[in-house]
Amino acid sequence: MPTVQIKDEARIGSDARVKLQPSVYLEKLFQTGTPDLSWMNQHGEWGMRAKPGNLGLRLKDIEIGSYGVVPDHGGDHRSMAPRGAVVPSDVPSLGFTINEKAECWADNAMELYEEAVARQWSSARDIPWSELKPLPDDLEHAMCQLCTFLTEVEFIAADAPTRWMSQINQDFLEVKLFLATQAMDEARHTDVFRKRALANGGGLGKASALSQLSLKRIFDSPSFSAQTARLHLLGEGFVLTMFRQGEFIAPSRVDSEIFRRCMQDESRHVGYGTMHLRAQLKARPELAEEIHDQLDDAESILLQLFSVPESVEPMAILLGGGLKHFDQGMEMQANLWRRIVNEYLQRCDSAGLDRRPRCLLPTDFTKLFAA
Amino acid sequence: MAAKFPDADWFLALGRLMEAEGELFRRLGYAEVRFVVHVIGDDGRAERETAVELDGYKLGRAAALEDAPGFDPDFTICATGAVWNRMLDEIARDGRPEARHTLSSLALIGQELWLESNDQLREDKYYRYNQTLQEFLNLSGKLPR
Repeated sequence: MPTVQIKDEARIGSDARVKLQPSVYLEKLFQTGTPDLSWMNQHGEWGMRAKPGNLGLRLKDIEIGSYGVVPDHGGDHRSMAPRGAVVPSDVPSLGFTINEKAECWADNAMELYEEAVARQWSSARDIPWSELKPLPDDLEHAMCQLCTFLTEVEFIAADAPTRWMSQINQDFLEVKLFLATQAMDEARHTDVFRKRALANGGGLGKASALSQLSLKRIFDSPSFSAQTARLHLLGEGFVLTMFRQGEFIAPSRVDSEIFRRCMQDESRHVGYGTMHLRAQLKARPELAEEIHDQLDDAESILLQLFSVPESVEPMAILLGGGLKHFDQGMEMQANLWRRIVNEYLQRCDSAGLDRRPRCLLPTDFTKLFAA
Repeated sequence: MAAKFPDADWFLALGRLMEAEGELFRRLGYAEVRFVVHVIGDDGRAERETAVELDGYKLGRAAALEDAPGFDPDFTICATGAVWNRMLDEIARDGRPEARHTLSSLALIGQELWLESNDQLREDKYYRYNQTLQEFLNLSGKLPR
C-alpha cells in the first residue's frame, strides 16, 4: 500500500501544548499484538436482522426487538448514546430537558420523516422558472407581498422547534429526525418565496410588526407542546390553507408549482403537530388549559394580522384575478376563511382538544369588519 | 375497446404508464395512499365508485368498490362526471388541468369536488401526496379516448 503524503509532516504537533501518553490498552496492544475484543461482548441484540420492505429499509423496518421499544421515560444518562446501545456509566449528560415520551412523541413521526426524506425537492431544479412571464402590476405586487409574508414567517417553523430539538432526549430520536426534515422544508420554503419575489421584477414588499409579534410568541413558548399548538396546529394549519389557496390563485405555472410543493411539506408538519398534541393530551389531560391559553393568544394575534391591508388585500387581488375584481376576491376570501377555521377546529378535534367553545376566530369573515 | 374513466381497467392502464414513467414518480417521492374515486351522476346519486391504492411508486390496486370488500380508504374524492370529464379533457388537451381545475384547487373551493373522510389526518394524505395524485391523473393524457 502506498504511503499517504502529508505536507509538512515533520511540523505536525511540534508546537502542541498538551502531550498525550498512550493508554494502557494501546501499550499492551503494541507489546503483545493481541487485540482486546472485549467490546464484542457488549452489544444490544445480536443476530437480529431488519428486513427491507418494498420501499427500501425504512425506520419502521428497524423497529424490531428491543430496538423498537421507545421508552416512556428517556434514558437517565441524558447523553446521545444511541437507544439500544450499551451505555457506559461515565457518559456526560447533555442536559436534555424533554425526557418524557409524551412531551414530544407522535405516532406518525417515523412515517413522516421517511416521507419527508423521499419527497424532498429543489427550488432551483424543480420549479420551471424559465416559464415565468411578466404579470400585470397589480398581480405582481400582490404576489410579491404574499411572498414577503411567507418569507417572513416560514423559517420560524425551523428556528423555533429546533430550539427544543436540542432539548429532546436522544431516546426519542425519531422525533428529532422528523424535526430536522421540517427545518429543511422551511429552509426551502424561505428560499423559494424569496426567489419568487425577486424573479419577476417585483421584489420584496412590506414586513409586518404583527407577523413578528406572532413569531415572537411562538419563539417564546413556555414548552414544546405549547409551541406545537401555536406553530403546528394554528400557524402551519393556517399557512397550509394559504398554500392550497396559492395553487388556486397562482397567476402562473411557476407559482402553482411552488405552492403545491410547499403544501405537501406543510401537510406533514401539521400532521406531526396534531398527533403530538393528541399523545400529549392523552397522557396529561390537565395540559389542555395551557394549550387553550396559548391558542387564545395566538388566535387573537391572527385576527389582528387580518386587520391590516397588506394581509387582506394581496390575497383578494389574487383570488379575484386582479384589482378590478377586488370585491369578488373578497367574497372568495370569505368562503376560504370558513374553510381555514373549519379545518383548524377539525384538527383540534383530532388532537383531542375541544376548542370550539373558546375559539376566537369567527366562521363568518364579515364579522372581522363589524364593530 | 379502450377502458373508460372510472373503470378499474382505466386506472390499471394509468398504473402501467406510472411504471413506465418511473423516474418522474421516484423524483416526487413515494406515496402510500388508498382512496375512492366517486363519480356522481347528474341526479346527485352515486354513479360509480372505484377503489385505488398507490403503493410507493406504482399502482397497487384498482377495482370497482363493490369488488373490493373491506377496502379502507384514507379519503373519497367526490365530483360529478362533468367535473371529472372537464379535468380529463383539459389533461388530454394540455397535459394538465387548468390551475383552477386541479385536484387541489377544486378541493379547496369544495363545491365541484370535495373530499370525504372520517379522519382529518388521513384526509391530509390528499395534500401530502397531491403532486403524485395529480401527475397520476395527468398520465391519462396518454391514453386513447
